[in-house]
Amino acid sequence: MTTSVDAVVNWARSNSLMPMPMGLSCCAIEMMAFAGPKADAARFGSEAMRFSPRQADLMIVAGWCSFKMAHAIRRVWDQMADPKWCIAMGACASTGGMHRIYGVVQGVDNFLPVDIYVAGCPPRPEALLHALMDIQEKIRNQYSVSMDDREASRDFPTHLTVPAPVQATEASRRINDAVAAEAIATAD
Amino acid sequence: MSELPDQTTPRNSAIAPQLDPAEQTQTLRFLYSPRTALAGELDRPNPHAKKTTFQPEVVAALQSRFGESVLLVTLYAGEHTVYLTRDVIVDACTFLRDEHGFDYLGDLATVDRFTEDDRFEILYNLVSVVGKKRLRLKVRVDEDDAVLPTIIGVFPAANWHEREAWDMMGIRFEGHPDLRRVFMPEDFAYFPARKDFPTLGIPGSLPLPPRVSDGPVQLDPYPAAHGEKPQD
Amino acid sequence: MSTDVLDNPTATPVPVKAPAPSPPGPGAHDAEVFSFWPRHNAAIYSALEGKHTHIEASDDPLEARMILNLGPQHPATHGVLRVVCRLDGETIEANLLDIGYLHRGVEKLAEGKTYHEFLPYTDRTDYLQPYANNVAWCLAVEKVAGIEVPERALWLRTMLCELARLQAHLLWIGTMVMDAGALSVFLWTFKYREELYTIMDEVAGARFTVSHSRVGGLASDVTPAAMGMIRRFCDDFVVQLADWKKLLNRNRIWIDRNVGIGVVTKEQALVQGFTGPNLRGSGIPHDIRIFEPYLKYDAVDFDVPMRTEGDSLARYFVRVEEMEESVKIIRQCLEKVPEGPIRNDNAKAALPSKDEVYYSMEGMIHDFLQTDVGVAPPAGAESYHAIEGAKGEIGIYIVADGTGSPWRIKMNSPSFKNLQGLEFLMDGAMVADTVVLIGSIDPVMGDADK
Repeated sequence: MTTSVDAVVNWARSNSLMPMPMGLSCCAIEMMAFAGPKADAARFGSEAMRFSPRQADLMIVAGWCSFKMAHAIRRVWDQMADPKWCIAMGACASTGGMHRIYGVVQGVDNFLPVDIYVAGCPPRPEALLHALMDIQEKIRNQYSVSMDDREASRDFPTHLTVPAPVQATEASRRINDAVAAEAIATAD
Repeated sequence: MSELPDQTTPRNSAIAPQLDPAEQTQTLRFLYSPRTALAGELDRPNPHAKKTTFQPEVVAALQSRFGESVLLVTLYAGEHTVYLTRDVIVDACTFLRDEHGFDYLGDLATVDRFTEDDRFEILYNLVSVVGKKRLRLKVRVDEDDAVLPTIIGVFPAANWHEREAWDMMGIRFEGHPDLRRVFMPEDFAYFPARKDFPTLGIPGSLPLPPRVSDGPVQLDPYPAAHGEKPQD
Repeated sequence: MSTDVLDNPTATPVPVKAPAPSPPGPGAHDAEVFSFWPRHNAAIYSALEGKHTHIEASDDPLEARMILNLGPQHPATHGVLRVVCRLDGETIEANLLDIGYLHRGVEKLAEGKTYHEFLPYTDRTDYLQPYANNVAWCLAVEKVAGIEVPERALWLRTMLCELARLQAHLLWIGTMVMDAGALSVFLWTFKYREELYTIMDEVAGARFTVSHSRVGGLASDVTPAAMGMIRRFCDDFVVQLADWKKLLNRNRIWIDRNVGIGVVTKEQALVQGFTGPNLRGSGIPHDIRIFEPYLKYDAVDFDVPMRTEGDSLARYFVRVEEMEESVKIIRQCLEKVPEGPIRNDNAKAALPSKDEVYYSMEGMIHDFLQTDVGVAPPAGAESYHAIEGAKGEIGIYIVADGTGSPWRIKMNSPSFKNLQGLEFLMDGAMVADTVVLIGSIDPVMGDADK
């Protein structure tokens, strides 16, 4: 996995993470402090906090996620382009935290693939910076451009029946040529 | 209403009725029997009682105007509370607003008393900004007949409060123009603040989003605990 | 044998696992057609009397109406607020606010916790001023249980509540001006919020969610070092605030964006249920610190800023001046705070001090019982106590049942009432002003959604 292409691409990606702050509640305030002047996320390359999922590659879920909000978060996550990573910031996003109640999803990892969990209620901005550095390390050491094509590396959805992928083979090329020849012959 | 003390005159003391001093040892017992009196915390009236909530004149005006419909008046920690019947609540609010200057609705809350008769209690916290007065009105309704007239005509600020009462406790307000749920989605079928609704909710009542982007929603509220890992 | 379809045209496609049947349940839907709370959105759109989020096709494009959905995830909605507007061009004909995206059911949580255990939850309701929420809860419990608070604790609570008000207003001004476009103010106000965090760290041990106040007093004393930090902060802050006022108060752009926007007349403010600076910006002199004085507000000298225009600029001025008044109150508290205990002595009413707990058997037993059962107001006791938070009246109504946990609490949250007023306010506004309006009403969703 340590090709030079990977090394360069991972270096570029890890040093230019654009967080998508899914700031829900109190952890969002500490996330603002993480972007603020004292604990500055910009020095790690995460200057551009992009609220549009199309432009971001790191989603920081900060705060307790209610069942009502979970669908919105999942929709936003689905709109993010690959490769994308997720930080569950704080106890509430990781496990539901102190809110053991009907309205709160007991951890966003029930519906999001979380890469880093940050403990704390709320975590200090330094803890979130540590998580950012952990994501950077994860990208550098555990990621490869060959994983960019997520379709090939995940389970197929279970509720659809999908035919086996078609590969171009000798047989298919023969058929294709024959069909093309017939089309040309009957074109006029 | 059977368990409320049978009195129609305000209690005079600002602190709860004192028990026999011999019974005050119950505070140190390891049996968690509910306390019915303060055990020597206070030798004098409640230090946090406010002047605005002590309104004997307004209470007397309500009693003289509504007579039989004023079921009970209580006084605790310097706060007057008036229990009314359901059919006079709108008139009482109008009376207080027009003739006693209670022009601001402080709060509208619901309590589930979990009793056989008159399960729900709805309370109205009315404020007079200029007159520096605050009064609490209460209405009790039965569980099978949890309907109240809306006070939106008197206090338009009751709009969302009544929606919250509907959402959380299931109390319907007739005459409300738009009685939808305010916190829970409409797809939710229960009333969470009721005492018979479990704190952790009912599995399946709130679906979770899918684990993969084109998957089905999950009805299990704890898929991660059951070993399902989301992908993508 | 290859599985290539073209080599074996009669081969059936490779089937994948059949889905497990969804367990039937009362809230179950046909899982394959679920699309973001269908009944909920149907109710909203029919209440808005509009169609789904598509432009109605019409011959004249100027006659088309559009439904615009702002949020729940949006940089400018101050948390997870969803605004569904029906637009006629740029004007909002009708709008509905959809809240509840941060609903927990904190009132139901409280029914399972003792009065002491519930304190950290109050940090997280109005999370911009956690100290004020702590004090609101402690005062409500002290009122229903009849617990006295010593003098020093009252003065320190007053001072720390005003510091919390400064925290909340600093964040308000940073985000409101940032939403209007001036990004630097956010960084400046966060610098001062960081200094407040350092002070809270020194006083309470935690930066942000402090939980320092206790039923019957405070958890720990404020050291002279911390008092010095607060004094220095006040001196620095007034200088900075003067600079920010120089930038904003007569700034052409800021005034143009705020003057005449979101006008609330005096009658409408009371009738629609606004609270806090939103009322005072419209000329209603309602401040709980004057209406029902609590803590030591009747012993300090301060003004309550008010404006009569009722527009967004008036609310801005009210909050900025409230920041100056807060500094005045803090300075007076620093001078007048007496020496003495910081928690009620009676161990049946408040947690005993750690000295007693470690060195006497009665102290240890009381500590155990206070932690286990805690304060137990008598059965049938109910009371309501309100404080003036930065957003408005934070009130807690407690129904006690004689045990250590409440039967029911009801939090009267200012942001819930202010958002109701915002829904009224945005009808007829321009869509570009929604951000400024949300900022000037200053909601915080953790409080509104409880």
